[in-house]
Amino acid sequence: MSETHKEHPSPTKYVQIAIVLAILTAIEVALYYTEDIVGALAPPLLIILAVGKFVIVVGWFMHLRYENSLVNKFFAGGMILALILFAIVMIERAVGNFF
Amino acid sequence: MSDAHAYPHEPTGVETRKLGFWVFLSTEILFFGTLITTFLIFKGRDFPGIKLTDVYDIPFTSVSSFVLLMSSLTMVLAHNALETNDQEKTRVWLLATAMLGAVFLAGQIYEFTEFYHKGFELSTNIFSSTFYVLTGFHGLHVFIGVVLLLALWGIGQRQKGLSLNEGMNLEFIALYWHFVDIVWIVLFTVVYLI
Amino acid sequence: MTKIIEPKKQRNIFSRPSSEEGVWSWITTVDHKRIGIMYGYAAFFFLLVGGLEALLLRIQLSQPDNNFLSAAEYNAMFTMHGTTMIFLAIMPISAAFFNYLLPLQIGARDVAFPRLNALSFWIFIAGGLFLYSTFLFGTAGAPEGGYLAEEVSRLASAPNGGWFGYQPNAGLKYSPGTAMDYWAIGLQILGIASLVSAFNFITTILNMRTKGMRLMRMPVFTWMTFAVSFLLAFSLPIIAIALFFVTFDRQFGTTFFLTEGGGDPVLWQHLFWLFGHPEVYILILPAFGIVSEVLPTFSRKPLFGYPAIVFAGFGIAFIGFGVWAHHMFASAISPVAQAGFGLSTMIIAVPTGVKIFNWLGTIWGGRLTLNTPMLFALGFIGMFVIGGLSGVTHSVVPADTQQTDTYYIVAHFHYVLFGGALFGIFSGLYFWFPKVWGRMYNETMGKIHFWLMIIGFNLTFGPMHWLGLQGQVRRTWVYAEETNLGFWNLIVTIGAFILAIATLVFMANWIYSRRKGEVAPFDPWDARTIEWSIPSPTPVWNFSNAPEVKSLDDFWHQKYGEDEDGRAVRREGTDELLLQLEEEGLNPKEEIHLPSPSYFPVIMAFGLPFLGYAIIYKSIPLALIGVIMLLIGGFGWGTEPLEEEFESSEEEPESGESKNYE
Repeated sequence: MSETHKEHPSPTKYVQIAIVLAILTAIEVALYYTEDIVGALAPPLLIILAVGKFVIVVGWFMHLRYENSLVNKFFAGGMILALILFAIVMIERAVGNFF
Repeated sequence: MSDAHAYPHEPTGVETRKLGFWVFLSTEILFFGTLITTFLIFKGRDFPGIKLTDVYDIPFTSVSSFVLLMSSLTMVLAHNALETNDQEKTRVWLLATAMLGAVFLAGQIYEFTEFYHKGFELSTNIFSSTFYVLTGFHGLHVFIGVVLLLALWGIGQRQKGLSLNEGMNLEFIALYWHFVDIVWIVLFTVVYLI
Repeated sequence: MTKIIEPKKQRNIFSRPSSEEGVWSWITTVDHKRIGIMYGYAAFFFLLVGGLEALLLRIQLSQPDNNFLSAAEYNAMFTMHGTTMIFLAIMPISAAFFNYLLPLQIGARDVAFPRLNALSFWIFIAGGLFLYSTFLFGTAGAPEGGYLAEEVSRLASAPNGGWFGYQPNAGLKYSPGTAMDYWAIGLQILGIASLVSAFNFITTILNMRTKGMRLMRMPVFTWMTFAVSFLLAFSLPIIAIALFFVTFDRQFGTTFFLTEGGGDPVLWQHLFWLFGHPEVYILILPAFGIVSEVLPTFSRKPLFGYPAIVFAGFGIAFIGFGVWAHHMFASAISPVAQAGFGLSTMIIAVPTGVKIFNWLGTIWGGRLTLNTPMLFALGFIGMFVIGGLSGVTHSVVPADTQQTDTYYIVAHFHYVLFGGALFGIFSGLYFWFPKVWGRMYNETMGKIHFWLMIIGFNLTFGPMHWLGLQGQVRRTWVYAEETNLGFWNLIVTIGAFILAIATLVFMANWIYSRRKGEVAPFDPWDARTIEWSIPSPTPVWNFSNAPEVKSLDDFWHQKYGEDEDGRAVRREGTDELLLQLEEEGLNPKEEIHLPSPSYFPVIMAFGLPFLGYAIIYKSIPLALIGVIMLLIGGFGWGTEPLEEEFESSEEEPESGESKNYE
């Protein structure tokens, strides 16, 4: 443990975070069932919700927001690299035939 | 290293093993990224045959997703208990996490068998192949996690209990477990909901 | 010497290995230097095997319509030649350098995770043996109605789908039998080895640096190791999953890459080259690092533009992730993608060019010592420039479509990987020979080796340029008399044999000099980096005291100051300083605790091939053996401290938090 370590949250805080996560999950499932009403908005909303949950778990449960910035850089680096590379592959494979 | 007094180390301020573990997690992103990419590419394909949407059961998977999500809570509570050196609570929460993980795995096995009986087999078509390999790879991670948690719980039962700095470290297993959880957060949306 | 204390015996699954000499001490070692040496020998063995395979190929092609190898054998040989050279020779030789030098260059006592280090070595060995066991157990059948149907000899019972394993050619339908499964699973195992070592090196470089060793004071070789480790860490997972798919396609009837089930063969190409192109830089960057150490030493000048060379290295590593589709210009990818990847391929030439100019700037006006390592380094620059330039021609898409799958490509990548990577590696082998063995290599034989090699190399791969442009196709076992390609093919084959002779000279030099060579003086090259400030051969404990680094090229600045014209002047008392360093290096004052040897890495590593065989032969008992070995290894590892507790002669202060575990 290094000196730069900020205090981790208390158990109560963790339970509160978990409740938020549960609510977000409930909204996701609800969105799925109301897809007819929400229409084209549903997929982007679902992605936003998933990203939200992802960030909450990584930031609080994995304590990334209390970690040294170096660790953050690694994780973010891996994420960004993966997103860029795979976006190119997906676009190329999906629309390549139409160009 | 025990000659730490003579040998300076960790100029980055991050504990060596933790740093190594985060590098490992960063590469795990690429593992799952490749699988998800393949899944999405094939999901958009127009190919005849049975699809995941023909067989899946959203309420069931929602419940098992919820179970896995809550196991992250019990995991972080175990970590928290160890930080305050409450051995008994640590063990209880560890066992709870392992059990929730096992429930999730049981759900996945049940789901796979159901799909299989509906004619959605591994080699049926690209939709089934990508589904099974992607979720199966995640399931393997959960399985390894459960084994590690139980091993840790077993070590905690013995002698002097667990410590934050020694041995099979609870912190790393916690990181691993949360990582498996966030992967499922993504998979639940990408595979089932969208 | 007796300062190393005897560990107390402690029971685990097995008692601690205790021998300090003999076979077991090497098998159970966790010392980065010993692991590095083993990496080197194993990789060199595979280099010889791969070279032999290449010679067989060249004998077959030495004249038109030749009958030396059958088509099936030829396919197996070129596949195994490529796979061996890349995964079993060049990569592990680089790993040998990383292992041996990295801790020395950053002033550490060992890598961050010594047992993980042993694990990656043994996984590499297990993977290599697994891959080569295909010659014993593998079968390479013939596709229905294929021209390979006649005979399949033992020599042909090896993977035959090319090192790139293009689908569906490498799928079950066109490559029946088990050989390609050996390939897919073998590479999977080797990938684990490299991945583990990448975690280890990244962590080591970040966290094990000695006092004052800031990032921008690290030797360039260390920097390149860092870049390579990132490339490994982020590219290997992609190929791991792709190989996973291949194994599923072949073993469990899925159709990831087979169109009949809706799969996508081009996706395999994407995934393969997403890994495959960074892999090219994984092979070449270590050589860049080596050359960047050798040139300044023998030019007696600091490296020209150190920050530029470091950033260019990372630029190459980063852009290297964005050029993969230039391997696929002849495949079904869109014109937009072709244009984009053509551009990025041109762009990656820029940081590479920066490095070339840095090296030239380093030599410029220097006082050159033209001994063997320097000759190889200079040869490296020349050959690599040729290979680099022919590489840029591939960024022109129409030209590339013409050249794809011809010998022009073969010429290009051999200029890069042989003229580049291997020349760099030879330079490094000679340069650090005194460090590792404490003896000097034979300079005359070294020079003969170099000249034979550079002549043989250019005879072998130079003519391939025009053979390719005349249309000789790769991976084809015969060519007709009427093509008039016979003459240059014969020259190429002669060149290949000169290379073989050059390698024999190298081996003779190595074997002779290791035993009978002159004893190396302390700091034989008047070198610049801190690994030369300790005795040779390196003591087990590396540095007696943690060195404190005050500048880039710290050892040089300890020896030399500058006069008013900026010329290097040897400081007074340098000779005494060197004597003192040698004395201190051999006789550490403090007690030194080194990580203890362990059986568990070996046990874990050799569990993996069993899992591989279990998948191929669908055998539960084999799988159980594999899993049990992994469990024993893992459990033993987890419960065994890195260092034994020591019975110290003095009272040791209780260290509050011990970090004995990995």
